[in-house]
Amino acid sequence: MNRAIVIGGGADALVAAQVLARSGREVMMIESDTGLLDEGWVPPKVLRELKIEGLELRWPEPWASVPLAAGGRLELSRDMARSVESIRRLSERDAERWPQFCERMARLARFMEKIYSAAPPNPLDIGFAMQARRLGRRGLTDLLRILPMPVAELLDDWFESDALKGALGAAGVLHLLQGPRSSGTGLRLLHYHVGCPPGVFRAPRSNILEILRRMPRVELENTEVQRIAVRGGEVAGVVLEDGRELEASVVVSSAGPRRSLLELIEPGWLDPELARALRHVRRRGVAARLRLQLDRSPGFAALALAPSLDYLERAYDDAKHGRVSRAPYVEAHCDERHRVEALVQYVPFGVESSQLQEKTIALISEHWGDAQPQHAELAAPRELEQFEGWPEGQPHQAELALDQALWMRPHPELAQYRTPIRGLWLCGPAMHPGAGVAGASGLHCAHAILGR
Amino acid sequence: MLKTTPFHERTAALCASHAWRRWAGYVVASSYELSHEREYHAIRGAAALFDISPLCKYRVRGKDAARFLDLVVTRKISGLQVGQVAYTPWCDAAGKVLDDGTVARLGEDEFRVTAAEPNLRWFEDNAAALDVQIEDISESLAALALQGPLSRAILAEADLQYFRIKESSLGGIPVQVSRTGYTGDLGYEVWGPAEHALAVWDALIEAGTPYGIVPAGMLALDVARIEAGLMLIDVDYVPARKALIDSQTSSPFELDLAWAVDLRKERFVGREALAAEAANGPQWRFVGIEIDWPSLEGLYAEAGLATRLPGSAWRTSVPIYAGSEQAGYATSGGWSPLLKKYLALAHLRAQWAEPGTALDIEITVEHRRKRAVCRVVKKPFFDPERKRK
Amino acid sequence: MAAAAYDAIIVGGGHNGLVCAAYLARAGRKVLVLERRERIGGAALTEEVFPGFKFSVFSYVVSLLRPEIIRDLELPRHGLHILPLESTLTPLPNDYLIQWNDHDQNRRELARHSLRDAEAYDEFGLMLHQMARAVKPLLAMAPPDPTSLAFGELLGMKRLAEHFRALGAKRFNQLTKLLTMSSAEFLDEWFETEALKATKSASGIIGTLLGPRSPGTAYVLLHHYMGELDGVFRAWGFAKGGNGSVSAAIGAAAQAAGAEIRCNASVQKVLVSYGKARGVVLENGEEIRAKLVVSSADPRRTFLGLVDEKHLPGPFLESIRRFRFRGSSAKVNLALGELPDFTCLPGRGPHLRGAVSISPSVAYLERAYDQAKYGEPSSEPYMDIVIPSLLDPEMAPPGKHVMSIFVQYAPYHVNGGWTDARREALGDAVVNTLSQYAPNLKGAILHRQVVTPADIERIVGLTEGNIFQGELSLQQMFFLRPVPSWAKYRTPVSGLWQCGAGTHPGGGVMGASGRNAALQILGAA
Repeated sequence: MNRAIVIGGGADALVAAQVLARSGREVMMIESDTGLLDEGWVPPKVLRELKIEGLELRWPEPWASVPLAAGGRLELSRDMARSVESIRRLSERDAERWPQFCERMARLARFMEKIYSAAPPNPLDIGFAMQARRLGRRGLTDLLRILPMPVAELLDDWFESDALKGALGAAGVLHLLQGPRSSGTGLRLLHYHVGCPPGVFRAPRSNILEILRRMPRVELENTEVQRIAVRGGEVAGVVLEDGRELEASVVVSSAGPRRSLLELIEPGWLDPELARALRHVRRRGVAARLRLQLDRSPGFAALALAPSLDYLERAYDDAKHGRVSRAPYVEAHCDERHRVEALVQYVPFGVESSQLQEKTIALISEHWGDAQPQHAELAAPRELEQFEGWPEGQPHQAELALDQALWMRPHPELAQYRTPIRGLWLCGPAMHPGAGVAGASGLHCAHAILGR
Repeated sequence: MLKTTPFHERTAALCASHAWRRWAGYVVASSYELSHEREYHAIRGAAALFDISPLCKYRVRGKDAARFLDLVVTRKISGLQVGQVAYTPWCDAAGKVLDDGTVARLGEDEFRVTAAEPNLRWFEDNAAALDVQIEDISESLAALALQGPLSRAILAEADLQYFRIKESSLGGIPVQVSRTGYTGDLGYEVWGPAEHALAVWDALIEAGTPYGIVPAGMLALDVARIEAGLMLIDVDYVPARKALIDSQTSSPFELDLAWAVDLRKERFVGREALAAEAANGPQWRFVGIEIDWPSLEGLYAEAGLATRLPGSAWRTSVPIYAGSEQAGYATSGGWSPLLKKYLALAHLRAQWAEPGTALDIEITVEHRRKRAVCRVVKKPFFDPERKRK
Repeated sequence: MAAAAYDAIIVGGGHNGLVCAAYLARAGRKVLVLERRERIGGAALTEEVFPGFKFSVFSYVVSLLRPEIIRDLELPRHGLHILPLESTLTPLPNDYLIQWNDHDQNRRELARHSLRDAEAYDEFGLMLHQMARAVKPLLAMAPPDPTSLAFGELLGMKRLAEHFRALGAKRFNQLTKLLTMSSAEFLDEWFETEALKATKSASGIIGTLLGPRSPGTAYVLLHHYMGELDGVFRAWGFAKGGNGSVSAAIGAAAQAAGAEIRCNASVQKVLVSYGKARGVVLENGEEIRAKLVVSSADPRRTFLGLVDEKHLPGPFLESIRRFRFRGSSAKVNLALGELPDFTCLPGRGPHLRGAVSISPSVAYLERAYDQAKYGEPSSEPYMDIVIPSLLDPEMAPPGKHVMSIFVQYAPYHVNGGWTDARREALGDAVVNTLSQYAPNLKGAILHRQVVTPADIERIVGLTEGNIFQGELSLQQMFFLRPVPSWAKYRTPVSGLWQCGAGTHPGGGVMGASGRNAALQILGAA
C-alpha cells in the first residue's frame, strides 16, 4: 500500500500533499474546512517546488495605525519615508533611528528566512554555525542577543516613543501568554518580520490557500479522522468518523502534535516520557476574535491599540492572574468591504468574557468616525476551540515561545517532522517554522518523508 | 521523623535488640533479638512473621484495568484469573527495569499492585486516556508475611495454591491471604486494614504460638531471600529512574527475568527495546555464585587464621574475575546456615554466566585483597518442594 | 616612566578580586589588591551592626563557592567552616511545606501535599544533577567567541559543540529547554504543589528583574543548584562567622601566597597610555604602576568610571551602556530578642535551623514582580530567611538571635528614588508580611537594618545594587557576558582585565570569575 493520507486542510497539509503526489504517490487528504489560517509569508522554495505563480502577499497600508493620546495617529507604513515622517511627530531621535533599526532587523530577518526555508537546524552542527557567521560579527551578535531577550528591552535600547514601542512590541506577544517584558519575545519580533519589507513587522495575508486548493492530483475527503491506526509500531491507515478504515503506509497529520499523538492514536505506542512531554507542550489560547461589518470605511486599514509597552504588559498581568485584560491589546484590520476583524488580547481560555464584545466595540469605535456596526460577533478562545477546532483556542497549536521554537518546535524529539510511530509524520503550525510561515512545514515534512 | 508501621506498637515492644533500620521511609526491626539467628531458622524450620507494611501498594480499578497493566508491566496480566497473583518487573521505554512487584487480580476489573518504590505518577501517566483509577493504598493497607514450613498449619489454609490470593478473616478482621513471599519457602502474605492491624497481629501470634512462630526482622529475611535467589531493588539492581549513567540500568533479561517478559503482547512500555535485546541476547546475566570452601579456607590459612564468615548478609559490590579480566560483580551474599555454603548473587557478562563456570571472587582477608575460587550455579540455591506444593 | 612596582593590581577586594589575587600570587606574581573600604570582602562581609549582633550584611549563604577554589586555596586551613542548612520551610496561610535534606523525611513531607510530587522529586533532583554536570565544565571555561573566525575561537566553539554532543540528544534537549524556559513553566512540568513550585522557582528570579513566568529564569534556577553538585563537599550552607569569614579566608590565602592587600585605597582611574594599562591612580593622587590591572568592579564602573572613554571603541561602549543591572533585591537584618514562632509550625523545631522561604505560590511571586515592574517595591515580597545564630551561636549575644532576610522585589529604579521613608516602608512591608506567619516577630525585634539596592550601590559599589554585577538573563550570559567578543576577561585596553561577577559565569559568591580570569591571565603571559 503506497498510499499517503494527509490530515488537515491548511497550507502546510496542502503543500505536503502536493509534494507527495508529485513524487508519484497516491495521496488522499482528509480535511475539515474549519480553523484554517491564511496568514503568513510563503517561502520562495515552496513556490518554486510547486511552480506556483500569481501569489499575492497583502499587508494593510499603513500596516499599523496607533491612536495617540494627544490626538492623531502614529502610522507605520511600508514606505520608509512616510513612517519616518509619522514617527518624527513623536520623536526626532526615533525618526532618525528608524531606518537604521529597520535595516538591522531586516538583515536578521533574511537570516531567519534561510533558517525557515529548511528543516530545523541542529544547533551543534558546524554547517549551521558557518551559516550564522555569514551574518557578520555585528549581525551574529545582534541575533544572539535579540532571540532570547525581551522585546521591550530591545525596543528600549532603540526608541523612546511609547506608541512606537507599543506597536512593535505587540508583535512580540501576539497569541502568546507572555508580556513584552518576558524573555524570548525578541525572537517573535523577528518571526513576524520574515518575508516582510524592511519596516513591516506583521505577517502578511495571501491567496496561497486558494492557489493550493485549485491544484489537482490529490483526492479530497471532507470529514473527520477518528483514529490513526497503528499496527506493530507502524502506521496502518486512518479510521474515519463514519467508521471506514483507509489503509496507508504514510500518514501526515497537521492536526497538532498533541492531538495527533495523544488523542488520535491508541495509548501505549508512545514512550511515556514523550507522552508526558507532549502533554506539556503549551498551546494556551490568549486572543479573542471580533468580526463585524461596518456600513462605511472606518478610516483605518490596521488599527493597533497599544499606546505603550506598559499598556501591553499590564494587559498581560491580568491574563497571568487568570483574568481578561481590563485594557486589552486590540488589533483591528478592515478590508475594502468594510469588514473588520479584530484580535483582542489577552483573553485566557475558559474565562468569563461576556462584556468583552461591547467593550471591544467601544474601544475601536472611538477610532472609526461615523461608521455604524451592522453585525458583530466575538469568539473567545473557548468558542474558537469549538468552532475552529483550535485546542484551547490557540491557532498556533503550540505557542511560539523560545523553548518551543526552531529545533525545539514543538518538542526536540519531534522537531524533524518524524514521530516514533513509523510512517506517521507531522506538519502544520506547531512544526518548524510554525504559524506565520505558510506551507513551509508541509514542504520540509514531505521532503523528510521522501528522504530529500 | 520517619514513619512507623501499623504494627509498631507490637514490634517496638518485642524489639529487644533496639536494632532498627529504614525501609521506604519507615522504621522496621533489623532483628528483634540480639542475633537474627533464631529468626532465620524459624523461616526454614517453623514460621517467621515479618512486618512488610512499608511496601508500596496500589489499587487499580476500572474497565481498562487489565489493559492498563498489560501496557505497563512486562508480563501478560489480562490472562490472570481472579484470585491469581503474578510477579513481574516493569520497565521504561528503553526496556530498563524501573521496579518489580506482584500484581494480584482481585476481581475482573480490580487489581492490587505492590512495588518497592512509589509508582503512582508513573502509573497515572501511563493510564492517561484509559478508563482506570489508580489509588495509593500504601498507608491504609497493612501487610504481614508469615513464612516457613508451619505457616500453612497456622493459617489453616490447606487449599490455597502457590501465587493465589483469597478473602479470609483473622481475629474477626476481614483480610486477604496470598500464597506469596520473599523467602523462597512455603509462606503467605496477609493484607488487612491498617486500623485493625494489631488485632490481626495478635491473632497470628496466638495461632502461631503452638507452632513456634517467631517475629523476624530484615536481617533474617535478607539471608533467606539470597538463598532463594531473589533480587533486591537498590541492592542488586539500580532502578532506571535512579540511574545516573546508562550503564547502571538493567533490563529484565540482564536480571534473569526473561520468563517474565511476554513479547507476544503487541505493546507495552519497553517492548521495542526488549524485542531487540531478546533477538541479540543480553550482555549481562544475573546469576548465583557459590564460593569454593577449600579455596576460602586456604586464603585464611595463609594469614594464619581460621576461616571467618560474614555474620549477616552483605550488600556491597564485590568484583568477580575471569583470570585477569573482570567478569562482573556480586551485589549481595552471605553464609547460608542451612546449606552450609557461602553464596552470592552476581551480575556477570554473558560469556561467563553459564552454570559451572569457574571464576574468582575478591575476598578481603586481614586487610588484603585476595581472590577465592567460585563457581556459577543455578538459582535458587534453596528450593524446597513445599514452596509450591 | 617609573618601573612597574607590581605584576598585577587588583581593583576591589571582594571575593572575586581576592580569588584572582590568590591564584596570581600562587603563580609567583607580585600582586596588590586595592580595596576602597576599610576592610576587604565587598558584598561578602560580616559586620557587628548592633552591639553583640553580627550580620552577613549583604550576601548571606555560601551556596556556590566553587569546590576547586576551596581546594586550591586550602580555604578550610585559612578559617572557612561551612555549616549545613538542612531544610527549607515555606510557611503557608494554614499549612506549611518543608523540604528536608533527609530523603525519607522529605518524601514523607511532600507526600502530605502530593504523592505525585513526592515521587517526581527524586527524578527532578537527578535531572538537575545531570544538568549541573553538563554545565559544570562551562563554569570553569573562558567562553569562546562565536562571532570570531580566529582559529582559537573556532576551536573553542568546536570543543563546546563536542561537549554538548557528548551529552547525548536527551540531555542536550533538556539543557536547551532549561536555558529557554521560565522556571515556573519548567516546574509545572514536574510538580503540582504550588508552594513547592513557588519555592523552587524563586531561585530562578534571584538577582533579576524578571518574574518566575519569564523565560530564562529556569537557567538561573540551575545556576543556584550548582552548589549542591558536589555532595561530599556540601558547599551549601552558612559560613561560620558570617560571609565575612569567606572573604577573610580567601584574603588570608592570598596573603599567605604573597599578595599584598591595601584597604582604604580607592582607585580613581586606571592609567592608560598608548592603549595599554600601566597602573592606577588613587583618589588621594597616589600613582601605583603595574604590568597588569585587573578590575573586579562591575562592567559599568570599570569601563564608564575607571577607564577614560577615549580608550574604548564605540560599539564596545554602546554594549556596556546597554548591559543591564536593574538591582531588584534588598536585605533586612534583624536583631531578635527571641526566635520567631510560626503559626503553622509553632515552637523551636529543627525547621528554624534551615532556610525559611516566603513563597506560598507562583502567583504570589508574580504579584510581587508586577509591582516592581512599574517601579514599586513589592508590598508582600518574596523572602529568603535564615537565622544564623541558631547555626553559629557566636553571631548574637547568648539567648538572642540574628535574622537575615533577603527581599525581592525591591527595584533600584523605584518611583521617586530611594529615600529614608522608602527604606523604612520597605522594612515595614517585610516585617508586616513576615508577621502574618510569625506573629511574635514584631515584639521580638530589638534592632532593624534595611539595605536597599541604592544602599548596596552606595556602600559596596555594585551598580544599581545588582548582587550579580549585572542581571543573569539569557542575553547577558556566557559568551554575551558582559559584552559579546569580550567575555574572556580581557578588555579592549591591553593589560586591563576584568574578574568580577559581571563576567562569565556570574554571581553568587562563586569565585569562578576570579579564578577563570586569573587562569586566563596566567595563560596569556
